[in-house]
Amino acid sequence: MSGFWIVLTGALVASCCAILGCFLILRRMALIGDAISHAVLPGIAIAFLMSGTRDSIFMLLGAAAFGFIAVFLIEMFRSGGVQSDASIGVVFTALFAVGVVLISLNARNIDLDLDCVLFGEIAYVQWSTLEIGGADLGPKAVWLLGFTLVVILLVISLFYKQFKLTSFDPALAAALGIPVALFHYALMGLVSMASVSSFESVGAILVVGLLIIPPAAAYLLTDRLGPMLVISVAVGIVSSIAGYAAAVALDASIAGCMVCAAGVLFAAAFLLSPKHGLLALRRARSRAAA
Amino acid sequence: MNKVASSVKRLVLLILFLTLSAVLVAGCAETSTDEGEGRGGDSRVKVTATIGMVADAAKEIGGDSVQVTGLMGPGVDPHLYKASQGDIRKLEDADVILYSGLHLEGKLTDILEKLGEEKTVKAVTDNIPADRLRGSSDGAYDPHVWFDVELWMSAAETIRDTLIEYDPAHKADYEERAAGYLEKLEELDLYAAERIGSIPEESRVLVTAHDAFGYFGDAYGIEVIGLQGISTASEYGAKDVADLRNLLVERKIKAVFVESSVPKKSIEAVIEGARREGHEVKIGGELFSDAMGKDGTTEGTYIGMVRHNVDTIVNALK
Repeated sequence: MSGFWIVLTGALVASCCAILGCFLILRRMALIGDAISHAVLPGIAIAFLMSGTRDSIFMLLGAAAFGFIAVFLIEMFRSGGVQSDASIGVVFTALFAVGVVLISLNARNIDLDLDCVLFGEIAYVQWSTLEIGGADLGPKAVWLLGFTLVVILLVISLFYKQFKLTSFDPALAAALGIPVALFHYALMGLVSMASVSSFESVGAILVVGLLIIPPAAAYLLTDRLGPMLVISVAVGIVSSIAGYAAAVALDASIAGCMVCAAGVLFAAAFLLSPKHGLLALRRARSRAAA
Repeated sequence: MNKVASSVKRLVLLILFLTLSAVLVAGCAETSTDEGEGRGGDSRVKVTATIGMVADAAKEIGGDSVQVTGLMGPGVDPHLYKASQGDIRKLEDADVILYSGLHLEGKLTDILEKLGEEKTVKAVTDNIPADRLRGSSDGAYDPHVWFDVELWMSAAETIRDTLIEYDPAHKADYEERAAGYLEKLEELDLYAAERIGSIPEESRVLVTAHDAFGYFGDAYGIEVIGLQGISTASEYGAKDVADLRNLLVERKIKAVFVESSVPKKSIEAVIEGARREGHEVKIGGELFSDAMGKDGTTEGTYIGMVRHNVDTIVNALK
């Protein structure tokens, strides 16, 4: 059963990340996943100081709180005129540093780094199951990520036009009376929710990779948002399947293989895309020269 | 609006289709591998151990009656361990899983506890009395207990009892081999105490960058000073280097010890600084901390590793 749950979890993470990643890429905020993965450190430290344990439920709550604080701050600075990359950089390094200081002051002899207490391992999802009233309902990660995916699909489909317009042309959106800031915050909230729940289940590298690579590949293959979302999700899910197959064949890290597979697909898109691909550009150039 | 709805519908359908096909593919691959690997008539108890030290003790005590598989190989820092596809099978196939405990395995601990509902899973440090553990606040202890050989003897007893509980048919074998191993460990404990005791008292100071030697220091009466203990953050400032240099000069400490995790630059700065003050410090050698040496070498066993550390420290400081 392990393969079944791993691929299913991978596909759910890929779907959540690939959808949100498209909007992030359009806003030039693709690295926000990496930022959140660092910015949650003070949340872990505070959750430990308050609860006195390293129980994963407290760690998850602390991380979620600081995930939201981080995206809120990033959005606040950005709308206040700081460039988006600088805003991401400022917030996550500062929050990470606060976490380092808190740990060094209060918990020096305790292993409290993110790898140990928060980041999960996709190889072991099948063993961490949800139990209600003694009934085994399958892996916790599948429930958590499935719920996240449903929320994302619901919010994005209800407000698709608004998200599209605020991503491409915030000025026009504002002129049309769409509350631009509200939709920015809503998107950031979704991103934070998706990343933190995925970190807990499958670790950081998979989330950060799948949040950027599939949308970037899709961006090379189409100029329209609808198809971009579809291609992005397809690339993400195919990466998780191919990555799992590679991990079985090589006996290697599963998350690592999945992200590598996504990288290979991106390289293929970069070379072969009919419009923006390297080969197509070269052909067009030589044709223009002739 | 219609277009939006249809594209969302397409997205949902795509997710469903791809996920289902993925799951089917994975399911098929699964059953075929399951058939391929039978038990092969091996009647030995399958033991999977997380770290090298536990695997080594399980091999010594289990002998021919068990087949021990290690999860984290030689040289793998448990903090940096990443699971591979094969590790799932190692845990799945095991009859008995032994792990170190005290949160050394990090988040893997939750998984191991969960597996404990189905099979025999034991933290070997379970029976060490809480007052012997080093810790700061409730529930959070320093997990590097193996450097106090006496505490590790308790772990060996726990391994013995766990094996007997699972496989009572070989009770006598386990007891006999455990007795022999415990005897060797007792010798090792005496050896370490005697050797460290032979260092002049004022130079009994172990300067290292790692936090793993707390139990060692307590057990054998050697003061442990870590770069991390001096610095409050993970960066070593100029003042830390100066503090450490002054300490080396004042107490006439002859050597400091490196591990792969030590930032070499700051150690070199300390040594250079001490030299300018007219005090010669050398690098005493490399110590094993979280992982043992390579398989097949003397340092690849628990006893060999402890002996190596003790000899390295004594030779450099004496």
